[in-house]
Amino acid sequence: MRLKRKSVTQKKLISRTANLSYSVFRFALLIAIGYIVIYPVIYMISSSVKTSAAFADPSIIYIPKEATLEYYSIAVKALNYGNSILSTLKYEIVSAVIEILVCSFIAYGLARFRFKGKKFFNFILVLTILIPTQMIIIPMMTNYSQLDILGIFGLFDKLTGIDIRPNILGTAWTFYLPSLFGVGLRSGILIYIYVQFFKGLPKELEEAAWIDGAGLFRTFISIAVPSSSVVYTTVTLFALIWHWNDYYLSIMYLSSDFPMAVKIYDIDTLLNAYNIWQGSNAAISAKCACCFIFILPMLILYLLLQRKFVQSIDRVGITG
Amino acid sequence: MKQKKNRGIEALKARYGWICITPWIIGLVLFFGLPIIQSVCYSFSDVALTTDGLQTSFVGIKNFKYIFAQNADYLDYIAEAVIQFFYSFPVIMIVSIILAIMLNQKFKGRIFFRALYFLPVIIASGAVLSVVLTSVSEGISNIEADESVAMAMFDVDDIVSSLGLPQKMGDYFVIVIDGIMNMIWNCGVQTVLFISGMQTIPSLLYEVSRVEGATKWEEFWLITLPMLSRVIVLVAVFTMVELMTAQNNSVMRQAYTFMQMQYYGEGSAMLWSYFIVIGVIMAAVLGLYNRLCMKKWE
Repeated sequence: MRLKRKSVTQKKLISRTANLSYSVFRFALLIAIGYIVIYPVIYMISSSVKTSAAFADPSIIYIPKEATLEYYSIAVKALNYGNSILSTLKYEIVSAVIEILVCSFIAYGLARFRFKGKKFFNFILVLTILIPTQMIIIPMMTNYSQLDILGIFGLFDKLTGIDIRPNILGTAWTFYLPSLFGVGLRSGILIYIYVQFFKGLPKELEEAAWIDGAGLFRTFISIAVPSSSVVYTTVTLFALIWHWNDYYLSIMYLSSDFPMAVKIYDIDTLLNAYNIWQGSNAAISAKCACCFIFILPMLILYLLLQRKFVQSIDRVGITG
Repeated sequence: MKQKKNRGIEALKARYGWICITPWIIGLVLFFGLPIIQSVCYSFSDVALTTDGLQTSFVGIKNFKYIFAQNADYLDYIAEAVIQFFYSFPVIMIVSIILAIMLNQKFKGRIFFRALYFLPVIIASGAVLSVVLTSVSEGISNIEADESVAMAMFDVDDIVSSLGLPQKMGDYFVIVIDGIMNMIWNCGVQTVLFISGMQTIPSLLYEVSRVEGATKWEEFWLITLPMLSRVIVLVAVFTMVELMTAQNNSVMRQAYTFMQMQYYGEGSAMLWSYFIVIGVIMAAVLGLYNRLCMKKWE
């Protein structure tokens, strides 16, 4: 009897030391990799408040002796901060929101129902993820300059001689239209994320709803959507961030009123107007300040949604 | 009677499926299929940009002949891309799953670390990272480092000389550290996907296994991984695409250079032949995964 008890305490001791050493290991690893991850951000923040003299001072690595906010005021002016936020909202964020909603509906169809040709569509889905926009951008631009839906408008033109094919290049429709049909910026991967998660949801509730005579939209909105808050949060974060960061489509489709990502991409030229030349220390500070105010809204968004992330775990834990 | 009813439900479901994907099919035809067909046509034609738009004339496989026979670099670039893929892919998958497991456990400071590991998602997907990294290397330009962040983060020369190692080792370390850093910066989305996948695993399963006396190690192999099988496919596809189509991928870079010089025909031909290679690799990896893992787990 006594022997057994001893072995139990010994086991406990072993497992406790194992746990402790694991915690230490985990902490060390997280901090080591975390250093790599956070380094550019720390560098960015620290350089953005450095004066030019501070770069030459070898005793200063991260925290400058005197901070200056001069570069932030330049950054706000150079990026035309207020206006570019507005145009980012208008072009990118609206189409991101459209995508989040439309893609979930399409994915629901792909994940939940069995129909002929589904394998084919799954293959196409992977293809939409695989083929980068750069590859089809030039045909897209020629299509947008004379928008022709399945040749109908073109036929009208040939029959009557009146060209009604609208040129939507440079308007927000170049962003909204593909998003509405689930083929916008990175829509493929968003649909794919939804599909994989919807497949994992238990089917029973929906089956019951079908039998009770609930229609497609009803089951989708009142059963599928509420039970997948984790995936909605994930997709929302990704969609907003990817749209916020995208500069390629805007450069190609728009000619003025660019979103902020384009300005970050073109930051060296923009700063020239403020007598800040590439390669100088002032340029480093100013660029870092620009980058920081550029990612700031996304950081805030993440911190807000992060709470949701944690909440949704608990909910899954209870119902699971 | 019952069978008939079942068949009715099946038909209804099939119809629901079609309703859901109808908008997508329209979009696929208009904004994906047509441009792709045009792009394939470009790869078989001479494309010239004139004032009336693009003028194309069919030239057969001339573009392909050019890139394979005359352009000496193209095959090397493809080989480089494939080799890089084969060592980055497993590292990214393993690192991100380990990070996700750690970040999904309950410990003090979890929220802080999660926010920290989310930074790559925000920064690495746009122009910000490259702007910051070039600033980093500009800031240490007195060492004449070419875009090496490792040089700025660690005093490599100092470490090497204090350990009494030859200078060559230092250079080698810098390359390895830079490679690791690139990979870790590419792990952000994958980690988040794994975490959200883990959150959908019912905690009941772990409770049962704990009652049965399973160790953490067994839990990982018998519950976590099988339950994540779909998410693993998702992450694998995402990682493959990201690696193969990244802006700094050698093949992509060359194709874009061609496109920028308005050699659309050659550029499209390059991309299309590269995509056939990627498609074969992806099919092989996913097929292997299906055979080895999915069947066993399901």
